[in-house]
Amino acid sequence: MIETKKLIKIYNPGKFEVKAVNDVSTVFAEGEFTAVVGPSGSGKTTFLNCVGGLDTPSSGDVIISDEKITKFSGAEIIKYRLNNIGFVFQAYNLIPVLSAKENIEMIMLLQGANEKSRKTRTDELLNQVGLYEMRNRRPSQLSGGQQQRVAVARALASKPKFILADEPTANLDTSSTSNLLNIMNKLNENEKITFIFSTHDQRVIDRARRVVTLEDGKIVNDIKK
Amino acid sequence: MIFKIAWRNIYRNKKRSLITITSVFAALFLIILMRALQFGFYDKLIETVVESYAGYVEIHADGFWDNQSLDNSMQVDQQLLDDIQSVEGVENIVQRLQTFSLISVGEKTKGGVINGINLSEEQKITDWNKKMVSGSFDLSDNEIIIAKGIAEFFGISENDTLILYGQGYRGMMAAGKYPIKGVIDLKNPDLNKIGLFMTMESVRNYVSSDEISTHIIIGKEKYYDEDKIVENLGLILSDDYEVMTWKETLPEIEQTITADSAGGLIMAFILYVIVVFGMFGTVLMMTEERKYEFGVLISIGMSRIRLFGIILVETIILSMAGVLLAIIVTYPICIYYNINPIDMAILMGDGAEQMMEEMGFSPVAPMSTSWDIPLSHSLVIFIFSLLISIYPAIKISKLNPVKSMKV
Ligand SMILES: Nc1ncnc2c1ncn2[C@@H]1O[C@H](COP(=O)(O)OP(=O)(O)OP(=O)(O)O)[C@@H](O)[C@H]1O
Ligand SMILES: [Mg+2]
Repeated sequence: MIETKKLIKIYNPGKFEVKAVNDVSTVFAEGEFTAVVGPSGSGKTTFLNCVGGLDTPSSGDVIISDEKITKFSGAEIIKYRLNNIGFVFQAYNLIPVLSAKENIEMIMLLQGANEKSRKTRTDELLNQVGLYEMRNRRPSQLSGGQQQRVAVARALASKPKFILADEPTANLDTSSTSNLLNIMNKLNENEKITFIFSTHDQRVIDRARRVVTLEDGKIVNDIKK
Repeated sequence: MIFKIAWRNIYRNKKRSLITITSVFAALFLIILMRALQFGFYDKLIETVVESYAGYVEIHADGFWDNQSLDNSMQVDQQLLDDIQSVEGVENIVQRLQTFSLISVGEKTKGGVINGINLSEEQKITDWNKKMVSGSFDLSDNEIIIAKGIAEFFGISENDTLILYGQGYRGMMAAGKYPIKGVIDLKNPDLNKIGLFMTMESVRNYVSSDEISTHIIIGKEKYYDEDKIVENLGLILSDDYEVMTWKETLPEIEQTITADSAGGLIMAFILYVIVVFGMFGTVLMMTEERKYEFGVLISIGMSRIRLFGIILVETIILSMAGVLLAIIVTYPICIYYNINPIDMAILMGDGAEQMMEEMGFSPVAPMSTSWDIPLSHSLVIFIFSLLISIYPAIKISKLNPVKSMKV
């Protein structure tokens, strides 16, 4: 379970301050498949970054499975992320010099997993996202959709309970989008992984089971289907 | 994995990596060859000067160097000689008995220094037998060999006779008449004005003492550090002895070398500055270009220390590749010119050149093949690459993943 309590993020405190996230209190239960939507500049990215501990909120707390991650030190939060949260970004988020396989495997290496379990899990993930055949390609040799699938596989590598994805389909065409969503959906249903993703894309919104709408950093609508 | 990422990044920026490696290589190439030439020359200089008279290490009775009188002489027994011989790095030892004396021929008189030597042993350390201008070095008792300057001063030569007189041991009078066995050119103007050689026995007779020596001269194993020998000798010798290296007995040579070497170091320093700026530029670009990637790596859980590890490994690979290349290329060159010595007069400072002429020393010296040169300069480059890595270290420690990932 992820809970945010009176989460506030203010950029440029003082004269031209921007309240990117303005007093957001909400709960994401385990197994949810949530889309965070809203107009450009409404605070979606900032919100996800704060939830995942990439950004530090100005005030308020983020509590994940009873742990107040907003109290963690810089090194602690990096370690926490490694073991508990998977990230997928809008684009260009693979390590260019590593192959698809190595990008995925690296996470487990950072976790200190042994070679055999790394290999097994990497192959399993590559199969899940349907890229086993392309495992030795570098990101530059993959399409945008394929890269995003590798990114999802990488996010899953550490067996996190949560995956945060900031506009994962923004650069993808229709078929790649539905392909990626199918994969995400399957992982959500079969492995009970909680997904929170921001999007502008109506096709993506339609597939979500909960839609949280942000405007000026505040939740203005929260629908569970 | 760190190594893999680092290596692939180097490979990805082939051109830049090559430029960096080449610049390190070029600088180190020049530095190593320059220093190898210089040190080769110094070794030759030291060898020539030291082996022509002083020996790398000398032992005297304590106080002898400051007051060179027979009252500060020593009695050397076989036990002492054995002890010295057993010290690591000592190859040959030879005793001498040295004393001041007046030389008189006809109406003329001048001062000189008599060296009582052990003929067979002496030839293992000095090359006097090869420096004879006339006559032979094959001394018998009560014969004398005189230096070139003395021969010229008195207008005497082989088979003439000279008279020596002065003070013997413990205030005794010393005097004697000696036939000249030959004339020697010591290749040193100062020594040529005063040098006289007789057998040890003859000189002991002359000073009326049959067991004293003033010097124990030590010839070392090639490349063995003379300071180390002094250290080792210190462990077995009592305070009754003083141990000196050629650096103390011939301070002018040490000074000449230091002055000349400083020039080389300045040159090396300039090259280092160029290399360091080149490398710094590379590292700067490497860091700036990859901020986004670093942001991603931190976001997905790579610690900042590991991230820095990647950059450090890249920097070290780049610099060490240049270093390795330079060593691989220069070493055969050093060996070649070690076997086929080159004329280095052009490369030397005025002081050194003038000195060489006086010493009758030909500036044809082999290049040094000592590993100290490439290793010490590689170490310098290695340390510089660590210092340069401070910049990315700071950048990474301050890197904000959210900001760095904004495109
Ligand atoms: N580093 C920053 N400094 C100042 N203001 C910022 C910064 N980052 C974001 N903002 C502001 O915070 C607000 C929220 O931005 P955010 O990126 O979270 O919006 P978003 O909903 O993700 O928009 P988009 O849909 O365009 O990605 C915006 O008004 C933006 O201008
Ligand atoms: Mg955004």
